[in-house]
Amino acid sequence: MFNYHFDWAVVTSGQYAQWLLSGIKVTVELSVAAIILSFLLGLIIAVMRMSHVKPILWFAHAYLEFFRNTPLLVQIFFWYFGSYKILPKVVNDWLNTTNFEFSAAVIALTIYTSAFIAEDIRSGVRAIPKEQMEAAQSSGFSYLRSMYYIILPQAVRLTIPPLINQFLNLTKNSSLAMTIGVAELTYQARQVESYTFKGFEAFTAATLVYLALSVVITWMVTLYNKHVLNPLGVR
Amino acid sequence: MKKVGLFLLAVMFILGVAGVSRAGDTFVDAKKKGVLVCGVKDSTKPFGFIDEKTRSIVGYDVDFCAAIAKKLGVKLELKPVTSSTRMPDLVTGKIDLIAATMTKNEERAKQIDFSYMYFYTEQKFLTRKGTVKTLADLGGKKIGTSKGSTSEQNAKKALPTATILSFDDYPPAFLALQQGRVAAVTTDESILVGLMNASKDKNNYEIPNIPISKEPYGLGMRKGDKNFVNFVNKTILAMEKSGEADKIYKKWFPGKRLFKITDKQ
Repeated sequence: MFNYHFDWAVVTSGQYAQWLLSGIKVTVELSVAAIILSFLLGLIIAVMRMSHVKPILWFAHAYLEFFRNTPLLVQIFFWYFGSYKILPKVVNDWLNTTNFEFSAAVIALTIYTSAFIAEDIRSGVRAIPKEQMEAAQSSGFSYLRSMYYIILPQAVRLTIPPLINQFLNLTKNSSLAMTIGVAELTYQARQVESYTFKGFEAFTAATLVYLALSVVITWMVTLYNKHVLNPLGVR
Repeated sequence: MKKVGLFLLAVMFILGVAGVSRAGDTFVDAKKKGVLVCGVKDSTKPFGFIDEKTRSIVGYDVDFCAAIAKKLGVKLELKPVTSSTRMPDLVTGKIDLIAATMTKNEERAKQIDFSYMYFYTEQKFLTRKGTVKTLADLGGKKIGTSKGSTSEQNAKKALPTATILSFDDYPPAFLALQQGRVAAVTTDESILVGLMNASKDKNNYEIPNIPISKEPYGLGMRKGDKNFVNFVNKTILAMEKSGEADKIYKKWFPGKRLFKITDKQ
């Protein structure tokens, strides 16, 4: 009979724990970089999507449809392998001397998630009465300034719950980066499994770390909303 | 309290699932079911790969599976596996036999039983022509390979300063080499030759003679599955004697076979 002996020491001490720790570090770096960039890019795309200038509007439409409707895994392969055919040789040669696996993963995660974030922010903006935009513009604010000073601060506040969802999705999606050799948490857990055959322990540890990361992200965004975006508790 | 209860339930569920595994006598079970499920690679020329015309998996490993199933008098069913899924698939009973370019080693032998060696090769590097003369040329470079393979571990030992990038399979690792993303692909020479020959620009690549390990392949079976292990060993020894093993080798590889299947290992 096959008997499984649990050996938690594999993941709590020694070389394999080191691997998992380095995997956690890469996952956090990937997620934090992509969360910040995708939020900023999402804001920009959302504003473009609400623009009245036709070419900008069309670009935003195309961007949203394309990146929301193609699988993330395909996009990761596109940025890592597909970019080779588009970029000039000088750029490729330079990229190959850098940690391009990591950058390609950040780019893919950022662009993919920004499309969802843009749509969330747009629905937040739509929840702000349109009279506010009219009032701002009749008081002499330009379109972009009214967005920046009046509309977006309120809209982002309303968008916090769906934004948390997007950030959590992004963190979990970062595990796909292992397909192009980025040594993040899932990659390292698999690595531990193939060296020790203690897959159950390794993946349980990874699962708990993802859970903890998600809780921390939710908590931080909620705190940020409570103390910075909305200190008065306006709903 | 309710939350704690739910959590405990979830943990129990996970433990319960992990506890499910199958073992027993594959020799008897396979005969009863009338089918032998064999885990093979499906993108590793010439061991297991999809034939363009017939759309089915063929190769050196597949021929060994077929011979064993035939001797057992049952139908053969092929299931594609990768280097990282083959052992879990065997232990959980999804497959009965691994014939997937698997190197015999002590670590693995703690978890599963191996047959006698049925193929022998050495681990080398596939590189762009003229870029690598000695092992030192690869120091500090990026080297591609496949996840969960011994190649990954050997490369780390032989080249501690290099960065090993593990892809899901060998073809993406080779694509990374073609694009200059990695300086070399490392794995068993027999697989490297297959990768190189399948590419359109094969003249740009070479396999320098820098072996970093010996790679005897074995067929994998569940630990303690004695009847079946004996049966498989007897079958492949008989194949060696009858010349069938040599015939299979010649079908897939050019040149002379430099190893023999024996019971002295």
